[in-house]
Amino acid sequence: MLARWWTSLASLKLTLVIFILFLLSVVLVYISELSPGWILALPFLLFALNLSAAITTNPKFRRQTGLLVFHLALLTLVLLLAASRLSYLKGSLEITEDEAFDGLLTDYEAGPLHPWHLDEVHFTQLTFTIDYDPGLNRGRTRSEVLWLDENGQPHESIIGDHHALIIAGYRFYTTHNKGFAPTFAWLPKGASTPQQGSIHLPAYPAHEFQQALDWTIPGSRQRIWTQLVLEQTVLDENRPSIFRAPERYHLVMRFDGQRRELHPGESLQFDEGRLTFVGLKTWMGYQVFYDWTIPWLLGACVVAILALGWHYRQKWAARPWLAGDEDEGTGR
Amino acid sequence: MEHEIQLLWAGIVMYVLAGSLAIVAVVLNKRPEKTILGLLCLGLLLHGLSIGLRWVRLEQGPYLTMHEILSSGIFGLLFMFSIAYWRIKPIRPIAAVILPLLFIMMGWLVLTDTAPGHLPPTYDTTWLVIHIMFGKVFLGAVLIAVGMALVILLRRFGLWEEKFSGLPNDRRLDDLAYRFMAIGFIFETLMLIAGAIWAQDAWGRYWAWDPLETWSFITWVVLAFALHLRVTLKPAPVRGAVLILTVFGLAFLTFYGVPFLSKVPHQGAI
Repeated sequence: MLARWWTSLASLKLTLVIFILFLLSVVLVYISELSPGWILALPFLLFALNLSAAITTNPKFRRQTGLLVFHLALLTLVLLLAASRLSYLKGSLEITEDEAFDGLLTDYEAGPLHPWHLDEVHFTQLTFTIDYDPGLNRGRTRSEVLWLDENGQPHESIIGDHHALIIAGYRFYTTHNKGFAPTFAWLPKGASTPQQGSIHLPAYPAHEFQQALDWTIPGSRQRIWTQLVLEQTVLDENRPSIFRAPERYHLVMRFDGQRRELHPGESLQFDEGRLTFVGLKTWMGYQVFYDWTIPWLLGACVVAILALGWHYRQKWAARPWLAGDEDEGTGR
Repeated sequence: MEHEIQLLWAGIVMYVLAGSLAIVAVVLNKRPEKTILGLLCLGLLLHGLSIGLRWVRLEQGPYLTMHEILSSGIFGLLFMFSIAYWRIKPIRPIAAVILPLLFIMMGWLVLTDTAPGHLPPTYDTTWLVIHIMFGKVFLGAVLIAVGMALVILLRRFGLWEEKFSGLPNDRRLDDLAYRFMAIGFIFETLMLIAGAIWAQDAWGRYWAWDPLETWSFITWVVLAFALHLRVTLKPAPVRGAVLILTVFGLAFLTFYGVPFLSKVPHQGAI
C-alpha cells in the first residue's frame, strides 16, 4: 500500500501540478502581504516528496547520471531552503558614530531555530562618509568600523557598497538609511557623573525638513521636543557633496511651554537634573543578515546547472542539430 | 555622443535591410543567406561600436536607462540569432519572422531618451554584468525558439505554408525549438543565480520578491513547466509552439515591461 503511494508520488504529471501550484503561490505572494515562507511551504513540500519518490522509483535516473545528479541537487536545494527559512535572521539597526553595537536590533524577522548569538558580535562605528552627485544621487558609502575577531583581536575595516562586515556568521550591510544624532550629557540631580547618549533624528536627506524628535530623557519624566537647525548646506543639489556632520548648527528645544535654542556646550536645567548639548554626530543604519546555508545553496545550484548541461549534451549528441527530417517531404 | 547615435542608426539600417531581404527571400523563394548574414554582422559591428563608445564615455554599462536596456537587448538578441543563423542552416528562413519582431523594438529604441542615467553604487559590480549577459543569452535562445514556433503556427493556419516548405517539418522544428528552450532554461537559471549573488552583496539578501525577481521566477517556472510537459505528455508541435510563445511573452514582459513601468530595474532596491 505504502509502496503504491510512493510510486504515485513519483508521477511526472504530479510534477506538472506542482509547477502550477508554484505559479499560483508566487502570484499570491506578489499580490498579497502574506509571508512568502508559509505560502510556498506546501508546493516546496510536495516538490521534495515528488523528487524523492521519482529519484528512488524512476528507472530513467539509473540510466541517465546527469539527470539523476540534477534532481539530487534540486532536492538538496529544497532541503537547504527549508533549513534556511528555519534558521535565518534579517534585521536592521542604527548605530551612532563612536558607539559600540549593543546587540539590539530595531526590527527583525527570524526563523524559529535561529541560534541567536549576536552577543558574540563586537564592533564600534567610527566615522562614515557618503558621496552625493548633483541631483542628490547617492554615491559610494565608506563606513569605518573597529571590530573584534573571535580571539578578541581588534581590526579596522572600511565597509560599504558590496563590502559587508562579517562577524560570527552575521553579515552587516550599510544602507541608505542614515542621519544626524545630537549628543547630550545628562546629570541627574544629586549625581556626580553625567550619562552620555544620543537621539537619532529622522533619516537625512529623505526627511530633510522633518529633523525633529519628541523624546523623554532616560531615567526621568522630562519630555523634550528637539529640532536640529542646520546653518550650512550639507548636501548641495547642484554640485558633488559628501554627507557628514556639519560644523555650524544649533538645536531648538521645546519643553513645559518654553522654547530655547542650544549650541554645543550649552545646558538646560530641569527639576530632575541638567542636560548639556555635547555636539552633533551622525548615525548609520545597517541591515544584518544571517543564513548559514548561503554557500551550500550556491554549491547546489552550480552542481544542478552543470548536471543539467551534461544531461542535455548527452541527449543531443544522440541526434545532431543538423540531422534531417524523420519523415522527409511531409512539411509537417 | 553624435557618433554613437550615427553608429546606432547605421546599425539599425543594416538590421532593417537584413530583415527586409529575409522577408523578400521567403516570398520569392530565394536564399540570399550570405548577404543577410553579412548585413547582420555589419549591423552588429556598428551597433556594438555605438554601445562601446557610450560605455567608455559614461563609464557605465548599457543597463540603466530604457534606451540602454533596449539597445543592449536588441544587440544581445541579434547576436544570439546571428550565431544560430550562421551555424544551423536549415532554420535560416525563420529570419523572416524574427527580424520583423525586432523591428518593433528598434522603433521603440529610437523613440527613447538618450540621456544618461545615474549609476547607483549597488549597480557598480561585475556580478551585474554577468547577470545581464546570462539574461541576454536566455532571451536570445527563447527568441530563436519563437521563430520556429511561429513557423509551426503559420503552417497550422495555412499561412505561407509553401513559402516555409524549405524548413524542416514541424516535429523536427519542435525538437530544435525545444533545444533552444533548454539552453534558455540553463541561462535563465544562471541569470537568477548571478542576480542572487549580486543582490546578496548589494542589499544583504539574495531574494526579496521585488517585481523583477518575482516576474523572473514566474518565467522560470513556466519555462520549467513547458520543458517538463514536453517530456511527460509529448504535446503536438502546435501546442508546444503556443507554450514557447507564452514563455517568450512572460520573459519579454519581465525584461522590458517591468523596467518600463517602474522606470529603473529593481526599483526600490537601489
